[in-house]
Amino acid sequence: MAAHGAVAGHKQQLSNGMLGFILFLASEVMFFGGLFAAYFIARADSPVWPPLLSPAQEAAGVELHLEFALPFIATCVLVLSSVTIQFGVMAVQRGDRSALIRWLIISIALGLSFLTAQMYDYSQLTFSSGDTIYGTTFYTLTGFHGAHVAGGIIFMMVILVRSMGGQFSASRHEAVEACSFYWHFVDVVWIALFATLYIVK
Amino acid sequence: MPVSGMLRRFRRSMVLLAVALLAIASVSVAAAQSGQPGGITDEAHKMHDLWIFTLIIALVVFLAVEGAIVYCLFAFRKKDDALPKQTHGSTIVEVIWTTIPVVIVVALFSYSFIVLRDVENHAAKEDLTVKVQGFQYQWGFTYDKSDLGTNTKPDATGEFTLLGTPADIPTLWIPVDEPVEFALSSNDVIHSFYVRDFLYKLDVIPGRDNRFVVTAREIGEFHAQCAELCGVDHALMRFTLKVVTRADFDKWVSEQKVTAPASVQKPQ
Amino acid sequence: MSSVAIPRPKSYERPVILDWLTTVDHKKLGILYLYTTMFFFAVGGVLALLVRTQLAVADNTFVNNDQYNQIFTMHASAMLFLFIIPVWAGFGNYIVPLQIGAMDMAFPRINALSFWLVPPAGLLMFSGFLFGGSADAGWTAYSPLARGTGTGMDLWIVAVLLLGISSTIGASNFLVTMFRMRAPGMTMFRMPIFCWTILVTAVLQLLATPVLAAALAMLFIDRNFGGAFFDPNGGGNVVLWQNIFWFYSHPAVYIMILPGMGIISEVLPVFSRKPLFGYKAFVFATMAIGGLGFSVWAHHMFTTGAVLKPWFGFMTFMIGVPTGVKIFNWLGTLWRGSITFEVPMLMALGFLSMFLIGGINGTFSAAEPDDFALHDTYFVVAHIHYVLFGGSVFAVFAGLYYWFPKIWGRRLNERLGQLQFALMFIGFNLTFFPMHLLGLDGMPRRIATYSNDLGWQALNTVATVGAFLIAVSMIPFIVAVVAAFMKPKDQPNDPWEANTLEWWTTSPPPVHNFDDVPEIHSERPLFDLRHGKNAGH
Ligand code: HEA
Ligand code: HEA
Ligand code: CUA
Ligand SMILES: [Cu+2]
Repeated sequence: MAAHGAVAGHKQQLSNGMLGFILFLASEVMFFGGLFAAYFIARADSPVWPPLLSPAQEAAGVELHLEFALPFIATCVLVLSSVTIQFGVMAVQRGDRSALIRWLIISIALGLSFLTAQMYDYSQLTFSSGDTIYGTTFYTLTGFHGAHVAGGIIFMMVILVRSMGGQFSASRHEAVEACSFYWHFVDVVWIALFATLYIVK
Repeated sequence: MPVSGMLRRFRRSMVLLAVALLAIASVSVAAAQSGQPGGITDEAHKMHDLWIFTLIIALVVFLAVEGAIVYCLFAFRKKDDALPKQTHGSTIVEVIWTTIPVVIVVALFSYSFIVLRDVENHAAKEDLTVKVQGFQYQWGFTYDKSDLGTNTKPDATGEFTLLGTPADIPTLWIPVDEPVEFALSSNDVIHSFYVRDFLYKLDVIPGRDNRFVVTAREIGEFHAQCAELCGVDHALMRFTLKVVTRADFDKWVSEQKVTAPASVQKPQ
Repeated sequence: MSSVAIPRPKSYERPVILDWLTTVDHKKLGILYLYTTMFFFAVGGVLALLVRTQLAVADNTFVNNDQYNQIFTMHASAMLFLFIIPVWAGFGNYIVPLQIGAMDMAFPRINALSFWLVPPAGLLMFSGFLFGGSADAGWTAYSPLARGTGTGMDLWIVAVLLLGISSTIGASNFLVTMFRMRAPGMTMFRMPIFCWTILVTAVLQLLATPVLAAALAMLFIDRNFGGAFFDPNGGGNVVLWQNIFWFYSHPAVYIMILPGMGIISEVLPVFSRKPLFGYKAFVFATMAIGGLGFSVWAHHMFTTGAVLKPWFGFMTFMIGVPTGVKIFNWLGTLWRGSITFEVPMLMALGFLSMFLIGGINGTFSAAEPDDFALHDTYFVVAHIHYVLFGGSVFAVFAGLYYWFPKIWGRRLNERLGQLQFALMFIGFNLTFFPMHLLGLDGMPRRIATYSNDLGWQALNTVATVGAFLIAVSMIPFIVAVVAAFMKPKDQPNDPWEANTLEWWTTSPPPVHNFDDVPEIHSERPLFDLRHGKNAGH
C-alpha cells in the first residue's frame, strides 16, 4: 500500500501506520476527556468534596481520603519509565539494538512496579467504587488508566521479543517509536490524573 | 431511452412530487391555525405568538426553496444533447445566500430570547406553591394550607396530598388569574411535567429542584401527562389539570383533610 | 492519453465462502457492509411496523407496555447503530478508494476488523430478547432509568461499545486512506465531494465516539459495580449522562447525514450535466457543520432546566446556515442544467425536498420556548424521520441505484425504481407528516397507548397506513435487485456519463481496482476526458 502512497508522490516523514496510530491516540485522548469531564462535573456540583457519606457507609468505616506518598513515588517511577523508553528509541536510532533491549527491559520493569504500587494502594484504600461519586470516579479513572498501563507493558514486551529476534535497525524502527508514543501518552494521562485526584484541592 | 418516454416518466414523477409538496404546504398552513393550541396561560400566549412567528418564517423559507427546486425540475429538464454552461460557482451568490439565513436566524434567535426571558419568571413568596412529585408511575400533588396564595389569608395549617394511581387519575386544582408555582421532585427516575395547554414542560429530575410559574387565564379541565420515558407504564402517568375560580378553589381546599407528610413519600 | 501504471498485488484463489469470510479487499468488505446494514434496515423496519400497528388505534393491546418499550428502543438502535451509521462505512469502503484512484484502503486488515465487529454486535444487541427482554430505555438510554432495567441493557451497552470501536478504527482508516493514497494529481481539493463528506464524518467519529464509549463505560459501572455516576443519592449527577450522551449524539446525527449529502452531491451534478455549484463553499460548509456540531448538544436538554439555553439555542440556529449553503449549492447545480430523471436522480430529489422539511422543523426546536412545547412530542419524531428517512434513507437508495452498475455490473430496472420512489415518497409523507400535527396537539413520544378521547387516533391511523405503504415500496426494490442478479453483467465502465474515477475502471472493478489512472486536472477527471480539460471552464 505504502508503495502506492509513494506512487502518489507524497513527500512524507510519517508513515501511514504511524499516522493511523496517532489518530488512534487522539481518540484515546477524547475517551479520557469524557471520564475527566464526568469527574469535574461531579466535583463542581457537589457542595463538599469529598461528598458526605451515608450513615450506613460511616458505620462500615468508609473514609474518603487518599494517601499521597506511595502514589507520588509511583508517579516518579512512571515518569522515569518514559525517559528510559526514550533512551531505547535513541538507541535504536543509532542502530544499537542491544541498548534498545536493555532500555526496554528497564522500562517494562518500571511499568510493572507502577502497577504493583497501584494494586497495593487499592488494597490499602478505605473506600470502594460504590462509596459515593468520589469512589466511583477514583476507581474508574485510575482503573482505566491502569488498564492502559498494562496494555503499554504488553506493547513493550512485544517490541522486546521482536528486537531480541533481531528486528529493528537505525532505518526501520517505527514500531518502537509507536510504542514510545503510546507509553508517553499513558504517562501524560497519569500526570493529569495525579494532579486532579491528589493535588487539586 | 427515447426522449419522449423520458418526458412521460419525468412528468408522472414530477406531478407526484408537485402534488405531494402542495399537500404538505397547504396542510402546514392549516397547522398555523389548528396546529398548536393557543394555550391557557400568559406564558403560553407569548410562546404561541413566537410559534406563529417561527412557523411563518419556516413556511416562507420552505415554499421559497421547495418552489425553486420544483421550478428547476420543470424549467431545466434535458431538451437536447447540448452541454449546459459549466458554471462552477459564484462568490457573490454564495455570500448572499449565506447572509440571508444569518439575518433570519439572528431575528429568530432575538425574538425567542426575549420570549424565553419573559416566560421563565420566578415566584413571589406569597404565590401559591404546589409540590409536584413524580414517581413510577403516577403523580402526587401536595398543597400547604398555610401557603395558598395571594388572595386568601391562611385559614389553616398543615399539608394535604393527592396521590394518583394509573387506575384513578389525579386532578390537580389551581386557581385562575393567579401566579402558581410548581415545585417538581422525583425519587426514582426522570419524569417530565407536561400540561399541553401550558405549551410548556419541565423535567422532574432526581436530585434537582426544578420550579416554574404560570398564570392560568382559562377555567376548565385539561389533559396532562408525563413526557419523559420513565419505564413500563410511562404512558399511564396521566393527570387532569382543573383551573377554577378562587372561590371554588378555596371551597375545594377546605374539603381536603390534612394528611401526615408521610404520605408524601412515594408509595412502594 | 497518458496514464500512470499502478503496481498490482498477486491475486490468488480461495474457496468462495472462505474468500468472503477472510477477505481484506475493500470492495468485498463494502459489499458485506451493504448486505449487513440493509438486513438491519429490514429488521428495524419490521420493528417500526410493530410500533405503528400498536399505535394504529387508541387503547390498543397488540403489544403490552413493556414489549412496546423494547420494540421502539430496538427499532431506533437497529436503524441508527446497525443501519445508517455502518451503511456509510459500506459505501465509503467500496467507493472512496476507487474515487481517489487507490488500490485499497490504507489498512485492509483493520478494515476487515471494523466490519467483522458489526454482525456480532448486532446479534449481541438483539440477543437481549432471549434474556428476559432487550434494552427498553430508548436509544438515548437516559439514567437513572437505564441504571435499573434488565440484562438486555448490559448487552445493549456492550454492543454499542463494539460498534463504537468499529467506527473509530474505521474512521482513522478512512482518514489515512484519503490523506495518503490519492492518485497522482488528485489534490485534496480535487477529491470528489463524497470523499470529503466521508472525511469530515471520520473526524467526527474519531473525536465523538470515544466520548460515548466513556459514557457507556460509566453506565456499565453504575449498573454492575455499584457506581454512583448517575445516582444523586451517591452524589452523582443525573443530567451528566445527558450531557455526555448528547456531546456524542449530536455530532452523531451529522455522522448519519453527511455521507448522504455526499452521495447527493455526486448524483445531482451527473444528472444535471453540470459541476457541483460552489465545490469549495460546499467543502467548507461541511467542515462548519462538523465544527458547530460539537457546540449544540444541549438543544436536546432544554427542558431539563440545567443548561445554558441561549447559547445552545443560538449555536443550533447557526447550524442552519452552512446547511442552507449546501441546499442552495445543490439548487445552483440544478439551475440551468440539463436534467434527466433516472432513479438515482429521483431519490436525490426526494432527499433534497424532504431533508429541507426535516431541517426546518428541527430549527423550530432551536427556539427554546417553542421546544418547551415540542420536546418529547411526536413533532420531534417527525423531525427525526424527515432528516433520517427523508434525508439519509433516500440518499442510501440514491447511492444504491447510482453505484449498483459499478458494484454488481448490472443496472436496476428503471420502472421498478420509479415505482419504489413513488410509493416510498408518498408513504413516507403519509407516515411522518401527520406526526407534526400530533406533536403540536400534545401527543408525547414513547407512549405505548393513548386514550381515545384525546382525538389522536385518526392521524395515527393515517401514519400506520403510510408505514405499511413504505414497507410495500420495498417490494419493487427487492424484485429489481433479484431481477438484476438474474441477468449477466452487462454494464460499461461509465453507464451514467459520470465524473469521478470509480467510473474509469471496469464494472465491477478488478481486484486491484485500476490498471492505470488517467491524468487528473480537476474534481471531474472523466468529464475532462470526455470533453477535453478546458470544456469544464
Ligand atoms: C440525520 C440526522 C439529523 C440531522 C441532520 C438533524 C439536524 C438538525 N436537528 Fe435534529 N435530531 C435528530 C437527527 C438529526 N437532526 C434526532 C435523531 C433527534 C432526536 C433525538 C432523540 O431525542 O431521540 C433530533 C432532535 C433535535 C432536537 C431536540 C428536539 C427535542 O428533543 O426537543 C433539536 C433541537 O434543536 C434538533 C435540531 C436540529 C437542527 C437545528 C438541525 C439542523 O442541522 C438542520 C439544518 C437544516 C436546515 C435549517 C434546512 C436547510 C436550510 C436552509 C434552507 C437555509 C434557510 C433556513 C433557515 C434560515 C432556518 N434536532
Ligand atoms: C435511520 C433511522 C430511522 C428510520 C429509517 C426509521 C424508520 C421508521 N420509523 Fe423510526 N425512529 C428512529 C429512527 C428511524 N426510524 C429513531 C432514532 C427513533 C426514536 C426512538 C426513541 O424514541 O428512542 C424512532 C422512533 C420511531 C417512532 C416513535 C416511537 C415512540 O416514540 O413511541 C415511530 C412511530 O411511528 C417510528 C416509526 C418509523 C417507521 C414507520 C419507519 C419506516 O420508515 C420504516 C420503513 C422500513 C421498512 C418497513 C423496512 C423495509 C422492509 C424491507 C427491507 C422488506 C422486509 C419487510 C417487509 C416487506 C414488511 N420510529
Ligand atoms: Cu413518568 Cu414518563
Ligand atoms: Cu441534536
